[in-house]
Amino acid sequence: MAKKYKAVRVEQGRGGWGGPLVILPTPERDKIVAITGGGIPAEAKRLAELTGATVIDGFKAPPVESEICAVVIDCGGTARCGVYPRKRIPTINLTPVGQSGPLAQFITEDIYVSGVKAQNMKLADGSEPVTVGFDSKEKPMAKQAARPAPAADGSGSGALVDIITSIGRVMGKVVNILFNSGRRSVDQVIRNVIPFMAFVTMMIGIINYTGIGNGLAHLMEPLAGNIVGLLILSAICGIPFLSPILGPGAVIAQVIGAAIIGPAIGTGAIAPAMALPALFAYNTQVGCDFVPVGLALGEAKPETIQIGVPAVLISRQIMGPVSVLIAYAASYLL
Amino acid sequence: MDQLTGITWVAEHFIGMFNEGGKTFVGFVTGIIPTLVVLLTAFYAVTSLIGEDRVHNAARWAGKYALTRYSLLPLLAVFFLTNPMAYTFGVFLEEKHKPAFYDAAVSFVHPSTGLFPHTNPGELFVWLGVAAGITTLQTAGNPALTFTVTDLAVAYFFVGLLVITLKGIVTERITAILAKRQGVEL
Repeated sequence: MAKKYKAVRVEQGRGGWGGPLVILPTPERDKIVAITGGGIPAEAKRLAELTGATVIDGFKAPPVESEICAVVIDCGGTARCGVYPRKRIPTINLTPVGQSGPLAQFITEDIYVSGVKAQNMKLADGSEPVTVGFDSKEKPMAKQAARPAPAADGSGSGALVDIITSIGRVMGKVVNILFNSGRRSVDQVIRNVIPFMAFVTMMIGIINYTGIGNGLAHLMEPLAGNIVGLLILSAICGIPFLSPILGPGAVIAQVIGAAIIGPAIGTGAIAPAMALPALFAYNTQVGCDFVPVGLALGEAKPETIQIGVPAVLISRQIMGPVSVLIAYAASYLL
Repeated sequence: MDQLTGITWVAEHFIGMFNEGGKTFVGFVTGIIPTLVVLLTAFYAVTSLIGEDRVHNAARWAGKYALTRYSLLPLLAVFFLTNPMAYTFGVFLEEKHKPAFYDAAVSFVHPSTGLFPHTNPGELFVWLGVAAGITTLQTAGNPALTFTVTDLAVAYFFVGLLVITLKGIVTERITAILAKRQGVEL
């Protein structure tokens, strides 16, 4: 295998994070998978060329996970960048993004590198160990081992002490869970909620102050102000080649909701009765960018992903406007 | 002198844009974050206290029937695992049901945020933007408004649940048609 596959060192690019990774395909794991949407990027082709691996478009023909040597993604820091590090598959992100998104804790320097350009890839000189992912599914045994059976040592201490210790143990466990929940929620707010607020409020500030907002509201009014317009909006958002582009991070849906439709409802430009159908209309594309990854998370076979991607996109084109109609009908019950 | 007033005008309005943004930011931070932090903590605690095993058993049961597969199962997945780990519940299903389940689950990660923001804290503004508009009308006492923000959140949740059930059934059918046409057995 040494004659066929070569180890390649991948470094972080400008503004990037993590790495360097040393990618060495093996006969079992010989696929570089590009999960970028819109074809295979030049960087993925270059990596495949250098290593001697096969490059594959993860949207079209996703291989089974055990054959993947590395994945190339272009995630801006929402969901996708953490999915593969979590599975301990070496991940090369073309976008310079560090530990972010809901799976940030799995993004570590030994499995993830970002901001990568073609010139950041070089043949390795063998001085560094090859990056190896391992199956994280093996349940850590430490948990069981660390908890020895409560030995019946307190034979003379009586039942009362036993009760007190077990209450203490339960209390400790509950407090631990609560504290961890607090940490998780503060973490989420700082990592994901506040950055988005900063971005949205900057846009809202500019849009409102300059008066662009009124213009946009008037522009959106024929689309968002009546049910026919909303159906058209939904049908556009659901076009199968458009929906995967509109999807990532729900950024477009959030901006339309927070910077245009929301304020327009607040000022009365759009009737409040349109709120419920609008919520479905401008979010028709939800998750269309994420189909292969989402299916892979459910451990779907490659054939399933190959058929599942078009199935979801086609279904969305039909069901987007249908859900707007359902929401419109339901808004009469409000 | 004229030029100076011109520059002053530009400077004033330049910083004015960001002052306006800052005001909105303070409104969001004081109006949304305190409740959100407490709510997130409570729901994370509830999901950890209930425990993985019990949720898995419920998921296995819900995956058996067409009606619950695209309503109860996505609801459990989104509530307990949140976006994006919710999609891992696909493992409880047969291959031919996985695309439809994904479609249903991903379509529920926003309708759920009105009542349960912990399910998708990174993408709250899909809901919060419109909610903020309704709140503005509500505080202004606008007579055109016949419902409250909470009413809308409840409606978003249940209409979402109905919609994902239908989406799941349609996507399952389309998956079957595509598989047949390509001669693949899923």
